[in-house]
Amino acid sequence: MRNFSSEFRRILSSISLIVAFFIVFANTINAQTPAPAAPVTATSPAAGTTPSPAPAAAAPSGDATAGEALWKANCISCHALNKRVLGPALAGINQKYNDEAYLIKWIKNSSAMIASGDKRSVAIYEEYNKAAMTSFPQFSDDDVKNILAYIQVEGDKKPDAGAAGGTGTTVAATDSGVSDYMLIGLIAVVIISFLVILVLNKVIGTLERLLLKKEGEVILPDEDDEDGISKDRFATVKKLAKNKKFVAFVVLAVLITMGSFGWMDLWNTGIQQGYQPVQPIKFSHQLHAGTNEIQCQYCHSGAWKSKNASIPSLNVCMNCHKYVQATEKYNGEISPEISKIYSALDYDPATQQYGENPRPVEWVRIHNLPDLAYFNHSQHVKVANIDCEKCHGKIQEMQEVYQYSPLTMKWCINCHRETEVNAKGNPYYDKVIAAHEQIKKGEKVTAAVLGGLECGKCHY
Amino acid sequence: MESTKKYWKGLEEVKNTPEFVENNKNEFAESVPVEQLLEGSGLNAPTPRRDFLKAMGFGLGAVSLAACNVAPVVKSVPYLIKPEEVTSGIPNYYTSSYKGNSILVKTREGRPIKIEANPKCLISGGGTSSQAQAAVLDLYDVSKLKGPVFNGADQSWGDIDNHVKQELAKVQASGKTIALVSSTINSPSAKAAIQEFATAYPATKHVMVDAVSYSGMIKANLSSFGKAAIPQYHFEKAKVVVSFGADFLGSWISPVQFTTQYSNNRGLKSLEEKRMSRHIQFESGLSTTGTNADSRIAIKLSEEGPALLSLYSAITGASVSGSSIADNKVAETAIKLTAQELLNAKGNSLVVSGSNSVAIQTIVNAINLALGNYGTTIDLATASNQFLGDDETFANLLSDINAGKVGAVMFMDINPAYSHSGFKGMSEALKKVSLTISFADRVEETASLCQITAPNHNFLETWGDENAIEGYYTIVQPTINPIYNTRNAAFSLLKWANSTVSDYYSFVKANWEKSVLLSAGKTWDDVLQTGFVSLPSATSISYSLVADVNGAIATILKQSKSLQKDIQLQIYQSVAIGSGEQANNPLLQETPDPVSKVTWDNYVAINPKFAEKLGFAEFEIVSVKSENHSVDLPILLQPGQAHGTVSVALGYGRTKGGKVANDVGKNAYPFVSLVNGSIQYASTVTLSKTGKFEELAQTQTHHSFEGRDIIREATFAQYLEDPAHGSGNHGPKHEKYDLWSKYDQPGHNWVMAIDLNACTGCGACIVACNVENNVPVVGKDEVRKRREMHWMRIDRYYTFNEEGKKITEENEIHEIEGTMENISVVHQPMMCQHCEHAPCETVCPVLATVHSNEGLNHMAYNRCVGTRYCANNCPYKVRRFNWFNYWNDSRFDNYLNNEFTQLVLNPDVTTRSRGVMEKCSLCLQRIQAGKLKAKIEKRTIADGDIKVACQQVCPANAIVFGDANDANSEVSKALKNERTYYVLEEINVQPGVGYMTKITNTGLQKA
Repeated sequence: MRNFSSEFRRILSSISLIVAFFIVFANTINAQTPAPAAPVTATSPAAGTTPSPAPAAAAPSGDATAGEALWKANCISCHALNKRVLGPALAGINQKYNDEAYLIKWIKNSSAMIASGDKRSVAIYEEYNKAAMTSFPQFSDDDVKNILAYIQVEGDKKPDAGAAGGTGTTVAATDSGVSDYMLIGLIAVVIISFLVILVLNKVIGTLERLLLKKEGEVILPDEDDEDGISKDRFATVKKLAKNKKFVAFVVLAVLITMGSFGWMDLWNTGIQQGYQPVQPIKFSHQLHAGTNEIQCQYCHSGAWKSKNASIPSLNVCMNCHKYVQATEKYNGEISPEISKIYSALDYDPATQQYGENPRPVEWVRIHNLPDLAYFNHSQHVKVANIDCEKCHGKIQEMQEVYQYSPLTMKWCINCHRETEVNAKGNPYYDKVIAAHEQIKKGEKVTAAVLGGLECGKCHY
Repeated sequence: MESTKKYWKGLEEVKNTPEFVENNKNEFAESVPVEQLLEGSGLNAPTPRRDFLKAMGFGLGAVSLAACNVAPVVKSVPYLIKPEEVTSGIPNYYTSSYKGNSILVKTREGRPIKIEANPKCLISGGGTSSQAQAAVLDLYDVSKLKGPVFNGADQSWGDIDNHVKQELAKVQASGKTIALVSSTINSPSAKAAIQEFATAYPATKHVMVDAVSYSGMIKANLSSFGKAAIPQYHFEKAKVVVSFGADFLGSWISPVQFTTQYSNNRGLKSLEEKRMSRHIQFESGLSTTGTNADSRIAIKLSEEGPALLSLYSAITGASVSGSSIADNKVAETAIKLTAQELLNAKGNSLVVSGSNSVAIQTIVNAINLALGNYGTTIDLATASNQFLGDDETFANLLSDINAGKVGAVMFMDINPAYSHSGFKGMSEALKKVSLTISFADRVEETASLCQITAPNHNFLETWGDENAIEGYYTIVQPTINPIYNTRNAAFSLLKWANSTVSDYYSFVKANWEKSVLLSAGKTWDDVLQTGFVSLPSATSISYSLVADVNGAIATILKQSKSLQKDIQLQIYQSVAIGSGEQANNPLLQETPDPVSKVTWDNYVAINPKFAEKLGFAEFEIVSVKSENHSVDLPILLQPGQAHGTVSVALGYGRTKGGKVANDVGKNAYPFVSLVNGSIQYASTVTLSKTGKFEELAQTQTHHSFEGRDIIREATFAQYLEDPAHGSGNHGPKHEKYDLWSKYDQPGHNWVMAIDLNACTGCGACIVACNVENNVPVVGKDEVRKRREMHWMRIDRYYTFNEEGKKITEENEIHEIEGTMENISVVHQPMMCQHCEHAPCETVCPVLATVHSNEGLNHMAYNRCVGTRYCANNCPYKVRRFNWFNYWNDSRFDNYLNNEFTQLVLNPDVTTRSRGVMEKCSLCLQRIQAGKLKAKIEKRTIADGDIKVACQQVCPANAIVFGDANDANSEVSKALKNERTYYVLEEINVQPGVGYMTKITNTGLQKA
């Protein structure tokens, strides 16, 4: 019977351990999810304000579904529904102009309209700093009508700020991770199961006592017993302490362990593997390289041409972030991180003008090779065709980048020893490889074989 | 070996002085004080154990602390908006122009870091001078002004402009002259700007005057042929070159251009075609050109005129009364032979003179005309615009100023308070002028006398153009934003003339578009790409002498007589410092003089025998006194110097030139005098003892070669008979036994070939190497301690020119020492030889220097612990030890240790730290870059793709670099040449650098 109970207890305790583990796990997940999940709160006020029905007369005759495709393909680089981007916000455009023919003409060839001196057209042209809208002569009238229909439908759906165009929502969906409901539920489950365990434990204790009482056994207090054992244990330790050989052995063992750890520490002096400094802009590679699958060389174009992979200049960021402002996540405000780009460039997103006082962004360098080592990205990336991940790790999964490789000379050398030269289709190597074949016959031609271990290949 | 000549590096070696013998025993100048440490209170003293423990404790603590370091926070700041053409890590090249030569400026991330010749440049032909190489450091000079200065206080450009305009208007109204004094301006745009200024202020008078004048020649050409200009010389067309004191390979007019032309007839290619020019030099001091001459005849300054006259009479047959050089028997016979050789090469010969005397240049013209050289070796139709200054107009201006006729003076690119300090009373004169302006980039000697300094841009910061030769227009492009608040001088003039031009760029562009581009039929973009426009010469000239030859003869004889004193002083330009314009450049100050190997100083060069006669010892400071000037300078015993003469270099003794230039040497400009309308660089002086000594910082005797056979020579006649003569390439070679196994060089085998016959010793390669490889400047004291860091040196070996005498024992040298006048010189560039069996590699205890599979000897600085065993074991003595952290040590603040000059560093080469060895890497960074470029472009490396810095800069093409594994490469062919030998090949270190024998064309003397 006693066996049963102890067995039961063991099971219980392991359950509780698992539960505890879950709690910790849940917490970590919680910690990893980005601050209060935006979409949940963002959508709720939208439900409150119901859209006023559009005047029937202005309702466009086009097909909104066909319009959506056209809208996404042609318009969104300059327009949003509810926000001024490069061009005006377009929700309500049908009501504003109430002249489909005019809009069709304008969209198909705006510059002609301006040139013709049409008052409305010139007014818009002036309002937008004389930046003419791209002409779309390829559109048929029906195409334009479809787009206008889409604008009508979508504009009615979300007349307020908040979540806007298609790209924003997809980003938000993938980014939100574990929802709050799930977390609360998990915690509740954990608490409940704890309570259940506690109650069960109590029940078992009572049942056991009752059972023993029934059988007439006397429950002896175990304290004395345990005390005796502990005394014995203490004595053994004492005995061992008197054993000189043993002491010597222990001291030696401790010395060796500490020494070897110390030695390893010394070897690792100056190695900053895992170094993850705080950057002035919380730029997420996970979002850009992972979710959005932007190619590395879009920003780090130097890696294919030069020794420096180069941190992109801010005009590269502006290629996208002139438009992408992540307003859907910040209640219609521009993301504070993207704002940092604007303020560095002294750029005013409202007027789209660059100011006079830009100040560069001071990134903290993560990979610090000593000055005495010459490393050239293009040799490795372009010539050897090595993936960025090989040295930089899974960048596309890093929220913040850290130093993935140790960047020690040993690490360099190992790779040079193992990596076969990417000589295929490169006439530069033909002669060299042929010459090596004669000497080494059949051996794998690694970087090391071609002199990749020589001092002067990296130190000069 | 076949050669029996005895070569010596310096006099101490010839004389075998006790100090020399003693120094020779030790490899290093200063021994390590080991004995001191071991003796007395050394290790036997009672405290060492405790001290040892203390040191140990401290060391351990320090190491543990160092181990606790956190990751360093290094900021990385990208461009805000990146210029499209810039990729960080990849250099950009822009065409520009330096002194009329088209150049390429290498920039990295917007900083100019190196100047290279435009390979297509019609003047330089792909080489540059040491000044051009060093010029990039001038850009980052900390001694420059940070902005305009008015009466000693900083002022804004706006205020300066207002003040100047007011004052100029006043002067214009008063009827006084507005004088613009400048050095030669051949820039079409600057000339147009000056024209516009002169239109706004009609009282303007533009006076051009050069620090070192050629106005004698210009005037002689005016009187002889009616064209006031310096002609174009074509040394490449001359079979016989005769020079009277013209250092055309070192400093005369356009030395880079002349070196290219000259080596065309003496280098590898021409010798293979069995073609070589003959060069005869008559001169007083031993010049770079003199060291390259086939025959050099030392003459006194006073003999120069008579010698020329006897040549004139020998060639034309005209009798010249009253002239004789009978005192100098050697010269007398030499002149006769020379005349014969010149007549044999009629139409393909060239006679030049370095004199600035109108009379002498007139006679030179007459000789060349008689020889039919005009139209072939001399071209006056497309004349040179490199020097246009006129001494006489400047002298007249000074008297006008003194007479109070001048209301405003502006100085552009000229520093007359220094370079014309022979003209007395300039500071008093300038006080009489109501408006004085200098465009200097620093408050130098002249600017400090002016009210306003309106600093001009450095040429790397501004738009501009140059027209060094008629029809040859080069563009000056900015390669960096102005570092300080400076403004282009020509643009300042435009501003003051109330021009409507908004910036100098549009002015230059407009000016080109309406003139040069129009006639060339090219666009502005074409010019920016090619760097120059060459228009066919429009003018033709009839070469008929109209000058008064007899009058010239009389003047020459008179001038010669006036120089006939005990000690004649020759004032010359040194190759590196020149006129002193770039004196604040530490790279140039530390470039050894090609002949004397002296750095950081000028000196009194005197023949050793003559010094002995006068009772002066080497390095003794003497007082050199002329009628109107006196300086104290140390004596340098210079073999080859004519007896009865001493030479002092210009360009030193700046007082307000900047941190580097100030108080280096003494100013020799006051010794010059204006005679017959042109400045003469000859004078008579007396020397007197001061009782003081000062050791000059010479680099030459720092290493000993123990009389080994490292220089090999042959005469041209011997060469024609047997191309391998003198090279030791005769008969069966020694069988080679190798201690080490052979290195495989399956890919590349980088080697170098150096043509001793092409090398003129100018030293441009040294400066190019310094700039390319971040070689530090160490300063005078360190050079004295033999700690110069140059990776490359040019060894200069003297030898006596005694025919038929075989000298094998050092004692015999004394017998033929003679006058110490008749010596010849061989220049030998020496750098790491990249030995196959490198002795340095085997002794390095830490394997810091190892062999590569491309035939290079690598040096890993971060591995080096500084035992200096390698330097000890190097037979060529080319390894350099860093005694200090030159880039970060306050003791070297004047040279390179400041944030501005460090911008010039080549980011592809590490700066070495204290305590490590360094040496020539054969420009490893360039090899690696060239290989990478080929790999990226998926092609093989073509011969000539990779050029090392010294090779690239060499105007004589004396250095060939390439892959020996490529049998068709230029270097492979050069090394197969019969003349090729390896220095110290007998010790079987198998060097990778081959040398080609020096050939001397003895001409008629031999035949």
